[in-house]
Amino acid sequence: MSRNAELGFLAAAILLGALGIAMVEFTRGNWLNAQVALTLVTFGIAFGAVHMAFRVWAPSASPLLLPIAAFLAAIGFTEVYRIDPELASLQRWSFLAAAAAAVLTLWLLRNSGVSVLRTYRYLFLAVGVALLMLPLLPDSWFLHGATVNGSRLWVRLELPLVARQLSFQPGELAKVFLTIFLASFLAERSDAMATVDRAIGPIRIPEPRHLGPVLVAALASFAVLIYQRDLGASLLLFSLFIAMLYVATGRVFYVAAGAVLVVIGGSIALTTFDHVQRRVSAWLDPFADFTGAGYQTAQGLFALGSGSLTGSGIGLGRPDLIPAAATDFVFAAVGEELGLAGSIAVIAAYVLLVTVGFGIALRARDRFRKYLAAGLTIVVGIQAAIILAGVLRLFPVTGVTLPFMSYGGSSLMASMVIVALLGRISHEERS
Amino acid sequence: MNAPIRRVALTIIAVFAILAMSATYLQAVAGPSYRDDPRNARLIAWRTGRERGTIVTAEGVVTARSDPSPDDAKLFRRTYPEGETYVHTVGFTSVLFGSRGLERTRADDLVSDRDSNISGVLNALMGGDPRPRGLRLTIDHSLQAKAEELLGDQRGAIVALDPRTGAVLAIVSTPGFDPNALVGPDGGPAGTALEEDPAEPLRNRTINGSYPPGSAFKVITAAAALESGIASPSTTFPDPLELELPGTTSTISNADGEVCDDGDSVTLEIAFIRSCNTTFAQIGMEVGALGLVDTAEGFGFNESIPFDLPVLPSRIPEATSFANDPPAIAANAIGQRDVVATPLQMALVAAAIANDGEVMVPFVVADVFRSNGSIESSTTPAVWRRAVSPATASVLRDLMERAVLSGTGRKAAVPGIRIAGKTGTAEVAGSAPHAWFIGFGPVEVEAADRQIAVAVVVEAGGNAGELATGGSVAAPMASQLIATYLAG
Repeated sequence: MSRNAELGFLAAAILLGALGIAMVEFTRGNWLNAQVALTLVTFGIAFGAVHMAFRVWAPSASPLLLPIAAFLAAIGFTEVYRIDPELASLQRWSFLAAAAAAVLTLWLLRNSGVSVLRTYRYLFLAVGVALLMLPLLPDSWFLHGATVNGSRLWVRLELPLVARQLSFQPGELAKVFLTIFLASFLAERSDAMATVDRAIGPIRIPEPRHLGPVLVAALASFAVLIYQRDLGASLLLFSLFIAMLYVATGRVFYVAAGAVLVVIGGSIALTTFDHVQRRVSAWLDPFADFTGAGYQTAQGLFALGSGSLTGSGIGLGRPDLIPAAATDFVFAAVGEELGLAGSIAVIAAYVLLVTVGFGIALRARDRFRKYLAAGLTIVVGIQAAIILAGVLRLFPVTGVTLPFMSYGGSSLMASMVIVALLGRISHEERS
Repeated sequence: MNAPIRRVALTIIAVFAILAMSATYLQAVAGPSYRDDPRNARLIAWRTGRERGTIVTAEGVVTARSDPSPDDAKLFRRTYPEGETYVHTVGFTSVLFGSRGLERTRADDLVSDRDSNISGVLNALMGGDPRPRGLRLTIDHSLQAKAEELLGDQRGAIVALDPRTGAVLAIVSTPGFDPNALVGPDGGPAGTALEEDPAEPLRNRTINGSYPPGSAFKVITAAAALESGIASPSTTFPDPLELELPGTTSTISNADGEVCDDGDSVTLEIAFIRSCNTTFAQIGMEVGALGLVDTAEGFGFNESIPFDLPVLPSRIPEATSFANDPPAIAANAIGQRDVVATPLQMALVAAAIANDGEVMVPFVVADVFRSNGSIESSTTPAVWRRAVSPATASVLRDLMERAVLSGTGRKAAVPGIRIAGKTGTAEVAGSAPHAWFIGFGPVEVEAADRQIAVAVVVEAGGNAGELATGGSVAAPMASQLIATYLAG
């Protein structure tokens, strides 16, 4: 029954995507054309495949996950197509690849369930860390790192036969592996970490050896910040570690310690790194250096303001004026063309997704599944919040993608795998 | 075990709530200020990039059209094929200087509905035409070109109307400029040069030029005398060489420094034909401030003239402010001192006399048409106000015809056609006089015949300089205009 409801919602979301493309074409003076059909087919195959995988291997999974993901993907893809049709045709392949990864995930877990992931937790840690470090590979190797917009978080694989490059952001997948590791690690250690106290005066702190993971998290995040100059990814990783420690132990101490480390790390970063300074000053007053550091934020504000309540209409705004409109700033493009109505709809969809995710965590029967569901939900929620806060000027702009919506195959793949894992966990609790 | 998960969930949801509030603030509250920020490049695209409707003259000569932009398939570029000829009326729409003229006042018709999202989409869904509408003007292209040619490089203005409908047949202000130079983002230097030009090419003198009307105002003074019954054309007045103004040592004399007629007495008719200041100052003082102001307001002074473009009201002071000041009454009665009028207003004065005393609402947009050419709406001629009775209008027609037959307006004559008119030579401190002519022709018409009323003003004497008079400079131009229109 719930699968049929999922199919209905999914069909609506897919039609929304096709309608979006049709509207873009309409404003360009075209009528229904191959692009609309291609979108319908791609979305149909991608989300249809994940839907069928749910039917076969996780029939009791929550029916809300996939339609929300498809809804966000439809709006995001419409804007990506509207900004750059060439990027959009690449993104169609990304949808197929991401769906394949999600189907593969469900297939691998078909018999033993998510618990099997615990067995390989150190493998996941190793893979996660390796993926994070991958962009540091020298430029001369056939598989090498690449610096884009000052951040080294890309990996390029030279394909000599077709003389093309395959680029991906390993950090996007690393966060999924690291979440699995953390969930598994904490499921074993949380009792010890929560109960063993040592008092220094009035302050009760955990055993020093239990502080280890916090420090590791802080150092790893800082390493990412230093070596890859990626503020967003480091903030995301650090928030994930701290949030999961809190979820596992219920101890505010970890949050407080994390906040102190953020302040210290942030201060050091602010005084040491130019690119952090530029982003902070662009956040405080984007118009002070309008043509320089503040340009992207200012263009985002112009887009949002021009969108007003109901937006310019799809295809009728100028989101192409915003730097990185198809990736980090896709939300500003939505705000311009769909207005405040569209902005609120997108934010509401993330709230719904996060609510469903935490609901799965709350209902999960064992610690590992709880922590995993919570962790995966935290990844999506915090990543969305970080970039939305950047666009909406509540926080300096840090380069992370908006899950499901931004252009980018790695991000899409990670997001779809998260949906598959959350679906599988919810299935295991209901069956 | 679940409590920390709940707290984290609530925290993240609270963050999204704050994000939603921020979006609301940025888009709904602060939105307009970001949208209208001059650094917002969208304004540039919006102002000039949208498709706008075509503007054509009465005969279909294209004065403004949108062509697909060569740079961006979705954008359009506005061009004005007739250049200067229609610049003040059609106006322009520019990246840097906004919109003027009809491009501004009729933007709702000219700009596509497609960008006004909800209403545009609804309209399109209901089978409406989403493309912008065009405007057909009342302007006669050959007459407009003639008017532009007549003014040449002189500063001034010409307004020609159909007196029975109020339709504008020609409306030219000089100097003009090429609007095409201002359209694009590279129009800054050209626009700045225009703004700084002392000849004020950006000003539409036909509706925003305030000139003392001089003796052309005597039509109104005569109308006031006739309407109040104080005088008829045969009423006589003393004919001094210089008229002493009561309570002062100053005097008023005629333009040629001579007596008006025989130095003894002169009729209103002779004084009108010869445009005698000494006589009209007396008539004005007999009519009084109230009569002058009432009559002038009857023609539209001190009112906003309803028009397709905003018109600067023509001014005569309130009657109470100069009712007890005979020298002021005398000076105002001959169109000097505090009386100022726009060329459009003076054209309406001539048209009202031609039209049995009724002032029609002037209009320059005849039809609004859809992209397929069908008419969406047409302007219906309407009476704005009654200036004078038909009887007074008839007497004034006769006086004005005599002024052209044998008086100051002789050079307005057109062979074979009965022309009526009144000259004006308005003294201005610090420059040569403004040369005026207002008039119309033919005096009598059948319903099917053409009739035209004109107002011509040449600023500071034009090429004639200090020697300029309304009769020598403006009247010949009126003659050519009327002949051109009636021949066409």
